[in-house]
Amino acid sequence: MTTLTTTPVSTGGHARRTSPTGSVTFPRVVHAEWIKFRSVRATPWTLGMTVLSMVGIAVLAAWGTSSLAEDPGTMSALDTVQILTAGWFIAEITVVVLAVLSVSGEYSTGMIRSSMTAVPRRVPVILAKALVVAIASALTTVLALALAWLAVQPWAGSLGLSLDLGDPDVLRVLLGTPLVLATVALLALAVGALLRSPAAALATVLGVLLVVENVLSLLPFVVVQRIAVFMPSSAGTRLLQTPETLAFLNENPDTPDLSAWQGYGVLAIWVVLLLGLALTLLRRRDV
Amino acid sequence: MIQAEHLSKRYGATTAVDDVSFTVRPGQVTGFLGPNGAGKSTTMRMIVGLDRPTAGHVTVNGSAYAQHQAPLHEVGALLEAKSVHPGRSAYQHLRALGATHGIGARRVEEVIALAGLESVARKRVGGFSLGMGQRLGIAAALLGDPHTVMLDEPVNGLDPEGVKWVRTLVRHLAGEGRTVFLSSHLMSEMALTADHVIVLGRGRIIADAPIQELIDRASHGAVTVRTPQAEQLAGLLQRSGATVHSAEAGVLEVVGRTAEEVGEAAAGSGIVLHQLVTQQSSLEEAYLQLTADEVEYHSGPVDASPTPSGATAPLTGSTVR
Repeated sequence: MTTLTTTPVSTGGHARRTSPTGSVTFPRVVHAEWIKFRSVRATPWTLGMTVLSMVGIAVLAAWGTSSLAEDPGTMSALDTVQILTAGWFIAEITVVVLAVLSVSGEYSTGMIRSSMTAVPRRVPVILAKALVVAIASALTTVLALALAWLAVQPWAGSLGLSLDLGDPDVLRVLLGTPLVLATVALLALAVGALLRSPAAALATVLGVLLVVENVLSLLPFVVVQRIAVFMPSSAGTRLLQTPETLAFLNENPDTPDLSAWQGYGVLAIWVVLLLGLALTLLRRRDV
Repeated sequence: MIQAEHLSKRYGATTAVDDVSFTVRPGQVTGFLGPNGAGKSTTMRMIVGLDRPTAGHVTVNGSAYAQHQAPLHEVGALLEAKSVHPGRSAYQHLRALGATHGIGARRVEEVIALAGLESVARKRVGGFSLGMGQRLGIAAALLGDPHTVMLDEPVNGLDPEGVKWVRTLVRHLAGEGRTVFLSSHLMSEMALTADHVIVLGRGRIIADAPIQELIDRASHGAVTVRTPQAEQLAGLLQRSGATVHSAEAGVLEVVGRTAEEVGEAAAGSGIVLHQLVTQQSSLEEAYLQLTADEVEYHSGPVDASPTPSGATAPLTGSTVR
């Protein structure tokens, strides 16, 4: 403290003139959340890992396919997109970490008291955070896909890679990847707001997405299989599947059929329910 | 202006704040005192809407805090020390808070300068000392140039210069006609800073009065007399019904007579006096008396409250009853 000089008190008129009296508006809360988002190190780390994993897995997929496939020169446009988006399952983890920390990190550090004092209606804070995290996750994924496309160019000739944006399935998977990842981020954010503890929220979200969903899909009971279809990640990532895979997933006569967009809709319903619960409790609970 | 009406907060079986009503007025510094766990912080958290009252309500400048369009212009609050993300710089922390109200970089630089944080503003808050953290909290409280300033233990961790800075600052803010509400457990500091004091004990208000009134009330008008004829004077006074103690040879402490009465009694009997003083309690003594009574009243376990140091201890002890 000795290095700090104390400025003579001069609050008088200091600000009634210099700072405009502004009300809290949603765009301003979004701006505040954007400042928060870009001023902590977790953001570049998790978004960097998202790009790195997407590009890395795409390169591995292209390389692996070129060395293993029997007839590699005939990759369709849909196959190409499958290669580019192959890293979604790792990106899912990194955006979950980003989203959970963005909200539960405020509780663990005490920042939430400052945030909710500035915006005592509370709900706009979480909604603005959700907007920032969702857009950042989606744009980062778009960037990762573009970089992945550049990174697989060395194998483009030998594999016959091509991008046909006129193909509806290609477009669905290509746009679906950022959409699904942004939606999964919202799911994680909602759980972070509900549980408040970063450790508990991370364990819950990753536990469900990575462990519970996979275990459920392996258990050979009809009831469990019916539930497994509606688990958030299993349902949502149908948007990223080829028509052949979707047909295979819908083969089981005991489980309900879900199209790609129906699957995404199930994920979206999870998000709406969890976010709604989180916002309801946010208004009721003490900060 | 802060107005609390029948404010209560219960956590399960524990009552943190119990039917508290008070008004904190503009233009003066109101101190908020009470033992640890008396409910001061909880009350302050309810004022800015972080905690929801179990019963009653509290308004700031006429409406509930959350109902204000621009809350930071109404109340600037410093709550429990760390309400910041340690990974963020002080500058970005203030920028983010200000952004919610459209408060820009210029005002942020102003409060950074005001708090003396220029040299560390771009550094991550995680590396801040307790004192720097407090300065950042005060900077955040002043960000919206609020009508009401509420500081919970603002001098915690501050060096003497920082303590003096806070004192000057809050006096100045009150002088500008703002409402200033601050809690502290440093009685000597509060005595220098506050005009009015609200004392909380076990979640209830046990005093709400101007600071001087509180001190006068606690003083009980004990009179110290130094005289070479102590025994003679003691006998004289006791016969007239006064209570007299003698802590040391040649010094009497008289309760029940004013200094004038003691002096006249002595003069009437030709007793020589070397010193005749009316005891003035300090705020600390007044406070300890109040809170000790409170603890006694509830007949619970007596908190290990700090005993007043030195010569004041026996006096306080003898005047409580």
